[in-house]
Amino acid sequence: MASSRPEWDGLSDQQVVLLARSGKETAYRELIRRYERPVFALLFRMVRDRELAEDLAQETFVKALNAIESYRPEFKFSSWIFKIGNNAAIDHLRRRELDTLSLDGSPHAETPEAMQATALQIGARQESPLDTVEAKELGGAIEAAIGSLRPEYRSCILLRHVEGRPYEEIAEILNLPLGTVKTYIHRARNELRQALAHLKE
Amino acid sequence: MTRPPGTHLSPEEIDSWLSGTLAQDWQQHLDQCQACLERARTEREIVDGIAALPLISPAAGFSDRVMAAVAIPDPFAIRSLQATQRRLFATRKSMALAASLTLLLLGSMAGSIAWSLTHQETLANIGTWLQSQGGQVAWLSLRGLASNLIEQPWYGGIRSLLDNPLQLALGSALASSVYLGGLLILRRLLALPTQQVAHAGM
Repeated sequence: MASSRPEWDGLSDQQVVLLARSGKETAYRELIRRYERPVFALLFRMVRDRELAEDLAQETFVKALNAIESYRPEFKFSSWIFKIGNNAAIDHLRRRELDTLSLDGSPHAETPEAMQATALQIGARQESPLDTVEAKELGGAIEAAIGSLRPEYRSCILLRHVEGRPYEEIAEILNLPLGTVKTYIHRARNELRQALAHLKE
Repeated sequence: MTRPPGTHLSPEEIDSWLSGTLAQDWQQHLDQCQACLERARTEREIVDGIAALPLISPAAGFSDRVMAAVAIPDPFAIRSLQATQRRLFATRKSMALAASLTLLLLGSMAGSIAWSLTHQETLANIGTWLQSQGGQVAWLSLRGLASNLIEQPWYGGIRSLLDNPLQLALGSALASSVYLGGLLILRRLLALPTQQVAHAGM
């Protein structure tokens, strides 16, 4: 069942949560619609495997929506869902360490079809073919450099510079002191600068 | 923060520069210090590069897959509970009544548990008697039903239906359809409206 847009556009996340708590299915779908892309993008860049990221994203939403009664509206819904997602990714990474990024597909894919199915889909932007090649090259290098960071640095840098979250919210999501978050982001940028230095030359 | 003489931009100041909130004296330093300017520009390139990473989305049907595993609370049960809560806490009198009833209920439960623990033999005797009586009543009812069905002339239709398996199947299907139809109609009649209705004068 698709949710009609104008009905939801003026509502805050907290208001949509209240409607979900009253048993309105379309409110659940609206929460998924608002956060499926950012949560999936964060998880994909954390675990670097499309299928696994889908599973973790699904697990994140199922866990959050089934526990919607325990969500406290004085906190941002985005912080809550990112926290659940990030914990799922960190738990997974602790269990199984992944160390190679592949834009061409999952490192665990065994057939060409599986490689194709798990490949990162680059979104279309308004660029010339040359720009696209350069952007892909730079984007690929940045993705690879982010993939080589420690998981904690990776979460911080993605939340800060991909999702545009303020430091305070990142500290809340990751359950870290504000100073630690700032340090992690600076260190992560330092490591990225070193990893991408060859592109400048 | 005022810049101490001879110092270069710290990561915090570079952050401020990236967000366009760098203090004036630091900005003056940045305009003159090639090392700081180069560092800040490199950081901006990295940050811009990260922000321009491609948008990625999960495969189509993601929300359906999530919703298949989500238990949505029953709105009728929630509204009934909320209405009961509102009624209970509406006045001091209703709260006192609810508290008294709760105490009475808890007291009788505690009394019942205490009595059961001290009279276990009596309970066992009552259980045995009820079991034997229950068995007799069930057997007598079954016999009465069977003899009625066999002997009474007004059950002739049912007897002929039991003789023909096809008729029996058709009759059962018809009865089930009527029952299900009735349930669906009842559900529709009892469903609460999901959309707010515009009222005149609002």
